[in-house]
Amino acid sequence: MTRRPSAKIAAYIGVAALALLAGLALGRPELVAAAAPLAVLVVAGLAGAHDPELRAEVTVDRERALVGDELTVQVALRAVTPVDRLEVLLVVPPGMEGPGGTGRTWALAVRLAAGEERTVTVRLTCRRWGAYWLGDAHLRAHDRFRLFTWEGHLDRHAAVKVFPVPEALRALVHPFETQVSTGSHVSGQRGDGIEFADLRPFLPGDRPRSINWRATARRGALMVNQRHPERTTDIVLFLDSFLDVRGSTGSTLDLAVGAAASLASAYLGQRDRVGLVSFGGFVQWLQPGGGQTALYRLLDTLMETQVFATAAWKGIRHLPPRTLPAKALIVALTPLVDERGVAALFDLLARGYDLAVVDISPLTHAGGATGDWGELAHRLWALERETLRHRYQRLGATVIEWTDERHLQQVLLEVEACRRRGGLAPR
Amino acid sequence: MPAPRRARAPLACGLAATAVAAGLALAPLAAVSGPLREALAWLAGLGLLLAAGAALRLPSLLAPALSVLLAEYAVVLVRRGDRIDAAAPLVGAGLLLYAELASWAREARPQVRDDRPVLEARAVVLAATTMAALGLGAVILLAADLPAGGSLTRLAIGVVATICTLTLVTLVARRTSTRARG
Repeated sequence: MTRRPSAKIAAYIGVAALALLAGLALGRPELVAAAAPLAVLVVAGLAGAHDPELRAEVTVDRERALVGDELTVQVALRAVTPVDRLEVLLVVPPGMEGPGGTGRTWALAVRLAAGEERTVTVRLTCRRWGAYWLGDAHLRAHDRFRLFTWEGHLDRHAAVKVFPVPEALRALVHPFETQVSTGSHVSGQRGDGIEFADLRPFLPGDRPRSINWRATARRGALMVNQRHPERTTDIVLFLDSFLDVRGSTGSTLDLAVGAAASLASAYLGQRDRVGLVSFGGFVQWLQPGGGQTALYRLLDTLMETQVFATAAWKGIRHLPPRTLPAKALIVALTPLVDERGVAALFDLLARGYDLAVVDISPLTHAGGATGDWGELAHRLWALERETLRHRYQRLGATVIEWTDERHLQQVLLEVEACRRRGGLAPR
Repeated sequence: MPAPRRARAPLACGLAATAVAAGLALAPLAAVSGPLREALAWLAGLGLLLAAGAALRLPSLLAPALSVLLAEYAVVLVRRGDRIDAAAPLVGAGLLLYAELASWAREARPQVRDDRPVLEARAVVLAATTMAALGLGAVILLAADLPAGGSLTRLAIGVVATICTLTLVTLVARRTSTRARG
């Protein structure tokens, strides 16, 4: 710990010396009597000051939590020598809330006798998703007369990941094409399944249970049912993290990450394979995978998503080919603000991917326009965004704007409805 | 988990320190009269201003505030003549109390919640040091009033005490320099 002297040492000694000199010069013992306590206190303090010996450890009760959960951070203290006053200051990272509200720090001063152990417990409420490092604590010890302070820093960090609460989604966007393994999406192909597809004449090798006896009776020849098989799909969540438009009600990136987590959870629940491309200044990707492992990997990657400012041009050619498998449905979550993100979506369309774009409207987060010029700029921005959506739609993508007042489920239903109508958005 | 204490403690300590400083600044005015009183009132005003500033906002004003309060008392002592002022231990204890309260006000940060034992120990130490200051002042006055030794002896003792204090200042200045431990 680093020792720092208090400013009052110099003040006390200086004033005492001045008073002694004045008392000597004026021949007044009263001045000596008035100033002597200041000097004596400093002498007593210097004689009694000793470096404190402390053991401190910071622990967090869990490694994963959901937004809204409470985490318990414990600072275990053990004093080898007595400490008259020990300030424990815990740094509360942005996105978490301490017991005192939205302050960046939480502090408590305790007194420890020699050999005493004390555990300081702090409850933090998770307010925003993300990956956090907790346990950043500062210690400041004081001696009895407050002449010295000893300062130390605990950097025994504990990693905590806070996941957004996944929304229950009843309906999802269905891909146009499916993969070969068995799943829960009705494929457009013919094969073994439940959903009726068509009739065809009986061929050697067909199973007798496939024979449609009514059709056979009407046509006078053996007819068999054809069915749509149930298959899995590959879903790639494409997260545009170039820019984050943040307002008082939230931010576009928060919405995108929350939606991605919900979609991943829902699709993986249907035994689909889900991959992730976090496309921004810092590009991250995960190849499509299935099951709980994939969900945790995906959520872990999502929690590390952040805006990394860079002017470098990024294109989808930077992604490994396996990240975007053929026949995969790409669900893009984007505020359509950064040119690189916009261009990447055009690139995906040009390569023939099945693309559904959820346009997270930055207009509400950007705040209201003030003045004539502000309103004009706002309207121009809205028009520009609408033009962009139409350009995507003309190329075959479904683009739906997600405004603040709408639920993700509504947006997904609208996307699905548009896709069923041939990829044309209602606007 | 109790809610953290707000900014009341620094303010309370600062106000208490200012009140003590006001007592120290205004008490000497009663002992003088005439034009000196008016001049002393200006000095008292300055002392009070510095004392309030040191207690409430600017800790660096602590030494000037103590110096001005002490200077005001020295003026009264000079006007007093040869009689020893029996209230000197009170002034000494008052100065120490003011300085410690001002220091407490700075120490009690609004963001930090002090445990009750910390506050109790601090109050006990403050009371004990004030009482000790009172006793020390009385002892010094009694020693000064002893018949042993002539004025030359007393001068010698004073010179030795001053040299010791100045040596202490030098030592402390050297020892209190910031250094890293462990």
